[in-house]
Amino acid sequence: MIAAPTLALDQVGRRLAGREVVRAISIELARGEVLGLLGVNGAGKTTTLRMIAGVLAPTSGSVRLDGADLYEQPGLARRRIGYLPETPPLHAELTAQEFLAFCARLHGVARASVRAAVDRALERCELGDVRRRPLGALSKGFRQRVGVAQAILHEPDLIVLDEPASGLDPVQALKLRALVRGLGQDHAVVLSTHVLPDVAACCDRVAILHHGELRHVGDVHAATTTSLRVGITKALRSEDWRTLPMVVAAEAIDVAHWRVELAPGSAIDAFAAAVVAAGFGLIALGADGTPLESTFLAIAASEAREAAA
Amino acid sequence: MSAGLIARHEWRRLAVQPFAWTLAAVVLAFMAWQFLLALQAFIDLAPKLGGLKDAPGVTDLVAIPLLRSFSNLLLPLVPLVTMRAFAGERRAATLPLLLASGLGNGRIVLGKYLGALGYLLALVALVALMPLLLSLGTTLDLGKIAAALLGIAFFTAALAAIGIACSSWASQPALAAAAAIAISSLLAVVDAGARLQGISNSGINWLALPTHLEPFFRGIVASVDIVYFVLLTAVALALAARRLEVLRGSAD
Repeated sequence: MIAAPTLALDQVGRRLAGREVVRAISIELARGEVLGLLGVNGAGKTTTLRMIAGVLAPTSGSVRLDGADLYEQPGLARRRIGYLPETPPLHAELTAQEFLAFCARLHGVARASVRAAVDRALERCELGDVRRRPLGALSKGFRQRVGVAQAILHEPDLIVLDEPASGLDPVQALKLRALVRGLGQDHAVVLSTHVLPDVAACCDRVAILHHGELRHVGDVHAATTTSLRVGITKALRSEDWRTLPMVVAAEAIDVAHWRVELAPGSAIDAFAAAVVAAGFGLIALGADGTPLESTFLAIAASEAREAAA
Repeated sequence: MSAGLIARHEWRRLAVQPFAWTLAAVVLAFMAWQFLLALQAFIDLAPKLGGLKDAPGVTDLVAIPLLRSFSNLLLPLVPLVTMRAFAGERRAATLPLLLASGLGNGRIVLGKYLGALGYLLALVALVALMPLLLSLGTTLDLGKIAAALLGIAFFTAALAAIGIACSSWASQPALAAAAAIAISSLLAVVDAGARLQGISNSGINWLALPTHLEPFFRGIVASVDIVYFVLLTAVALALAARRLEVLRGSAD
């Protein structure tokens, strides 16, 4: 028998105020995987995360945790999901330790195990030095980490993080990436972000939402680049590039630079050799953005094309 | 169990904030001043009362008026305690913590309600201590005082439920307090016109809070009055739970 995935969204949709905010999303996620949820503002990321976290029931489809429907058994969310909303939900008047102890009980941790769970979460999020300080007196980075700590202290199967790196400085963001990467080894993690490098650094798979629809799901590291940025000295027309067998499209960026799309599976060294052999005067060659970036921008750009059509 | 957890958390949050302590200090100081004034007036009047047949005692002239005065103070006081229950959580963007806890809306509302009610009943108990201390030096009608305290407890419970409902519907604590004060005050005076015309047993009289509180101050504990307060409390809490379902889908 094949084990049910930790998280399974089956044709999940949600209407809010008469508008279909999320439409027929189907995703599966296993323990040990980090899924990055990408999308422009208003794409439906937060609504999707709320449904995954057990906050908001879908109007169609089902959200399943290890095969059990989350909204038929709401107690599952309490024990087995950790959720960090976009703004960490912290009670500013309490200390980190007091607040996390409450969260532990809220998530069903037995009274006798609360202290150990809080200590473990404080240590994992490097909060030991500030455990007795009121949350309202902590910096943004520390507050964000307390937010992550409240999401992981009951050792949930599924961790849902909504924009966890938002507002952090580069050093804090790097530490958070390492933390999320570490969490992904033992848990299933869903991470929503605007920041593409976060997805590349933390995630195994990416799902791109646009206008409430799932437009792309794939492995973050599987694809290889087929879009290149080429610098040349010779003045060319688009047709000149087509004389090279591996080129499927070329677009001028400026007089000396072109964006060239290669046929899937083409070798870049063969392309470079062909450019040199053709006498184009090759002076620079590099990837035109990451494959993820290309995919994301292409999907985001479809909005403009749809609007223009 | 879960509602109790939220209620205890609310008490802890109140205990570490100056607001709750300041409010309690102001209320107790004001009630102590009223108590001393009433006691002095009774002492001044006592020689004249001695000659009267069935003269009212310290219970009727000090304890019950003090508790009646406290019930009037509860109208603006309770909303100040309940206003932040949900509106404050929404303003601080902390409501998702409870919504994502897997607890049902009813339990969350009940926890918040019990948190506010616990604080308010502690205030009621402290105010009640003032007249009860007189039992050290005189004889009190403890049955009548117990009935009055029971009435105040039901009254407080209903006002707290109205406050919680308003807090769940408003996005700002101040707005929640204003709405709760307005609704409670309206319920307090809704039959004023009818009473002016000498009508005291119509439907509109039944809606009014004083109609059901006043019998307790006379030592009468009637089931119809208890049912009124329980109904009012239940409807307000049900509305709050209904509102929470809507908040689950909103952006804040």
